[in-house]
Amino acid sequence: MHHVLLDRWSQGASPLHRRDARAKILALLVFLVVLATTPPNAVAVLATYAALLAAAILIAQLPLGLLMTRAMVVLPFSLTFALISWLAGEPLRALALVEKSYLSTVAVLLLAGVTPLPLLLGGLERLGSPQLLVLVAQFLYRYLFVLSEQAQHMRLAAACRNGGAGHRRASRFRSATGALAVLFARSYERAEGIHRAMLARGFSGRFSLLHAQRFRAGDGAFLLLVSAFLILVRLG
Amino acid sequence: MHIPDNFLSPPVWATLDAIAIPSVGLMVRQAGRQLDDTRIPLLGVMGAFVFAAQMINFPVGIGTSGHLVGGALLAYTLGPAPAVLVMTVIVAIQAFVFQDGGVLALGANVFNMAVVGVLAGYWPYHVWGASWRRPAMFAGAFLSVMVSGSLALGELLMSGVAMPRTMVLVSLALFAASAAIEGAITIGVIQAIAKLDAGFVPHPRASNRRTLAILGGAAIALGAVGFLVASAAPDGIQRLGIQLGLTATTVLHAPLADYSMGWSVESAWVRRATAGLAGLLLIYAVSAATARWLVRRRSA
Repeated sequence: MHHVLLDRWSQGASPLHRRDARAKILALLVFLVVLATTPPNAVAVLATYAALLAAAILIAQLPLGLLMTRAMVVLPFSLTFALISWLAGEPLRALALVEKSYLSTVAVLLLAGVTPLPLLLGGLERLGSPQLLVLVAQFLYRYLFVLSEQAQHMRLAAACRNGGAGHRRASRFRSATGALAVLFARSYERAEGIHRAMLARGFSGRFSLLHAQRFRAGDGAFLLLVSAFLILVRLG
Repeated sequence: MHIPDNFLSPPVWATLDAIAIPSVGLMVRQAGRQLDDTRIPLLGVMGAFVFAAQMINFPVGIGTSGHLVGGALLAYTLGPAPAVLVMTVIVAIQAFVFQDGGVLALGANVFNMAVVGVLAGYWPYHVWGASWRRPAMFAGAFLSVMVSGSLALGELLMSGVAMPRTMVLVSLALFAASAAIEGAITIGVIQAIAKLDAGFVPHPRASNRRTLAILGGAAIALGAVGFLVASAAPDGIQRLGIQLGLTATTVLHAPLADYSMGWSVESAWVRRATAGLAGLLLIYAVSAATARWLVRRRSA
């Protein structure tokens, strides 16, 4: 499954994995902004950015092919709009839509692939995101797959009991609402249990990382280098 | 409808980022005031519930099935401000973990789905929920999906993305259909939840009624504008969008114009990039200031 993949990727030990999350987030933002302002006909610039991303993926020791396939999730949307632009007589714009949205997606996937989500969220918090927002995100990510699995079990169990197949649509609809309501109530109870368990373990109201990341000189150098390279390529 | 990066033009996404950050900050502050600490895990788990709910399919027609979007449902069960918070987190996680929606376009997606979507979904319930519970819930869930979709469509058109008139109309019809499905699912699930425990679905609170009514009205007005923008002739709108984009760019550029001397080579790009970065810095400063202010308020 997807999350297992990203979680495994982000556990690596490459130089990119070791950078401070803040440096990586800011580098991503610089990349996205520079890319967003690149004109569609600057093919050489776009190709250089693609090469830079590929190099970064290899440095991070992530599977290049798999990552590039994963990034294709954006293509159905882009291709639809690209086709329309093409038909409207703007082939250049169509091409740019596909290239640029795909490169952006690869870049975001690369960030998620070299940064475990708790560290990524920690970085966002230290860049100024409200603490409550980050706290909720930590809980959400922790229980996302637990609840998804529960929903899948419920679906499987319903299918085993014939799941109302052959019944009228209205009654199947009603049974689906019932399933969601049960899932809702179980999630609610689970949340109460979680809070009690966390209090029992001395939860103080915020998560603290065992190895808090420090913004070192290397991180600053990385950010400067990447930004300078991106901008120079764009100007040159 | 999650907009990926590079579909919105820089003035459009930068403006929406700048709008989304203080609105989310405001809602987070309000949620923080309403909630005690015991409810924080609940918000996260309810966000996970919305993700998991997409696994349960609802039969809606021949061979097609729909699933819950959840903004209105969260607003009815958790309250509007916590629901905005949870939906914001959902949209952000979809962007970072599932590559569903862009990072620069995050402000636009949060604004469409989490802020306006949830508030427009809560508004009818808040105003008419006491007497006409079911119709108000249906209207709310319908509005939340319809308004988010129309806004996204309007933003794309403003950015000059080419869309023939028929496609705009077809998209609007599709949004209306999925909005109606969302309404039916929301009513059904809320009734089933209330049957399990009536306490899950609190009645609308009487306090801060006016602010919410105003916010909701504004949300719906914005949605209507998006709807109008989307349904008007795309050609005219595109021109308007380009003009708006141009004026927005000039405004962004104005304070930096004097510093661009010596940058005459490709100065248009440099200025655009500088404006973009300046916009990001501005957004960062605003959110950092909001966060600091929030922390100070919480500890005070």
